[in-house]
Amino acid sequence: MAVTDLPRPPNATLPRVARVLSQGARTGATLGLPLISFAFVLGLWSLVGLSGVVKEAIFPAPWSVWSATVEMWRNGTLQTDLAKSLGRAAVGFGIGATLGVMMGLLTGRVAVVRTLLNPFLNLLRPIPAIALVPVAIVWFGIGEGSKYFVVSYTVFLTVWFNTHHGMQYVPETYLRAARTLGASKLREFATVVLPAAAPHIFAGIRLGVALAFLSLVAAELSGASSGIGFRLQEARQYVRTDRMFSLLIILGILGALADLVVHWIGKKLVHWEQG
Amino acid sequence: MMTDTTQSRGRVEIDDVVIRFKGKQGTVTALERTSHVLEPGTFTSLIGPSGCGKSTLMNAIAGFVTPAEGALRLDGKPITGPSPEVGVIFQQYALFPWFTALNNVRFGLKQFGLSKREEIDRARAALDEVGLAAHADKYPQQLSGGMKQRVAIARTFAVEPKVLLMDEPFGALDAQTRLVMHDLLLGIWRKHKATVLFVTHDVDEALLLSDHVQVMSQAPGRLIRHYHLTQERPRALSRSGNELLEIRDEILGLLHPKTMLADTL
Ligand SMILES: Nc1ncnc2c1ncn2[C@@H]1O[C@H](COP(=O)(O)OP(=O)(O)OP(=O)(O)O)[C@@H](O)[C@H]1O
Ligand SMILES: [Mg+2]
Repeated sequence: MAVTDLPRPPNATLPRVARVLSQGARTGATLGLPLISFAFVLGLWSLVGLSGVVKEAIFPAPWSVWSATVEMWRNGTLQTDLAKSLGRAAVGFGIGATLGVMMGLLTGRVAVVRTLLNPFLNLLRPIPAIALVPVAIVWFGIGEGSKYFVVSYTVFLTVWFNTHHGMQYVPETYLRAARTLGASKLREFATVVLPAAAPHIFAGIRLGVALAFLSLVAAELSGASSGIGFRLQEARQYVRTDRMFSLLIILGILGALADLVVHWIGKKLVHWEQG
Repeated sequence: MMTDTTQSRGRVEIDDVVIRFKGKQGTVTALERTSHVLEPGTFTSLIGPSGCGKSTLMNAIAGFVTPAEGALRLDGKPITGPSPEVGVIFQQYALFPWFTALNNVRFGLKQFGLSKREEIDRARAALDEVGLAAHADKYPQQLSGGMKQRVAIARTFAVEPKVLLMDEPFGALDAQTRLVMHDLLLGIWRKHKATVLFVTHDVDEALLLSDHVQVMSQAPGRLIRHYHLTQERPRALSRSGNELLEIRDEILGLLHPKTMLADTL
């Protein structure tokens, strides 16, 4: 008998530490373990800061980053920048995701639209968001318009692509079952095709959220007078690495939170896809 | 003279049907010229070697596949595509995972435009018939294989199809569950009196369930032997007489020509 092929019984052969950790993963739930990791990195970072081997101006210590954050909060720029950036990301994402889903449904279901647009859209996909910024500024100026455009464009392509492919992989047996059960085309679409494609659509939307932040900062780095990306650029001019670090960490946290929210909503809506 | 309508409910005519698929290596014939009639309310099993075209024939009657030649008719009308008159039970259940058992059954009832109350009542009654009333609000992922297939049976029968096609419906189930499903299926079939075409690899299953057993040849398949079984149901190979056992040996011989060859050598 091929004993090695059997799944290892949980815990039995693991060393004690691993056992405790894996138990933690199950009971301490999703929050506990990341915290351990963050505390570890923060500890290391503090040690580097304390040792003084790296110049503060190049690699600021955690407490310098913290006071830079407090400083930006006190003078109010952090709140305005956050509001601006989040607003742009939200509007751009909203437009891009909506159009992306609609276009994906169209190219997924209507052969004419697919023939006319798919090759073109696929050609657009490899163009990086950053490369679009100059064009966007010429078209929409350095105001909000160019930011919305860059973000929604990037989100649109990703969401479209995933939606389109989700529509292609609707299992044939579902469609056959629906047809033998007397479903009209409309009901088949709404209650079979759409739910079957939903996991892919949500995967696209989740990617879209990440790309919204990415492309937003790209757009704000050049040609903006507010927002996190603009503030990063400004910090570079004054060589304020402490502010840069603060803004980068904030971006990371925002992105992670947005991803959590979308993931959670997706899990609620596509509840049948687990395991 | 007009044909009697009560007699023609669920009469499937397979008239000189040939089915071909275009593949990479040219056209393959999946089903050789076949003619046959499934009489209303009868239970026919189709048995044959893998790849001989059983699913292909079934898919054609379901309207999923169009024959290259010949015609398929249901009660005299040509079969042009899937329709609720021809129900299908798939081996992999094909339940919608985003609907509860109850809503899976309701899906088929929507076409009748019933009131919500009536629709739910009928769906519940259908689940009750397969013994799953208590599981109406569970999702397919929460049900065992046998339970899933019972929901699928309830969903299909609730629509009252004239013809029921089943492609190895119990192939994925264990022997014990399969026996339970046989009783259940025969009970419901007797009540609804649909014309059943049942594909199986299991000779015993075919003998226990059917009025007619059709044996197919190696690919490209055609019908090569027909048995009409009249033994009382519920049957058991041990007590339904020697005739079933003899037929069983014959079918096994047809399915495994090599052993026949060994006899003649
Ligand atoms: N969609 C298709 N395209 C091309 N060839 C096909 C298609 N469906 C079936 N075939 C071919 O037709 C032949 C019959 O297939 P079919 O699935 O009907 O066999 P089967 O009797 O149901 O076999 P099994 O018992 O293994 O299910 C096979 O040679 C198969 O490769
Ligand atoms: Mg088959």
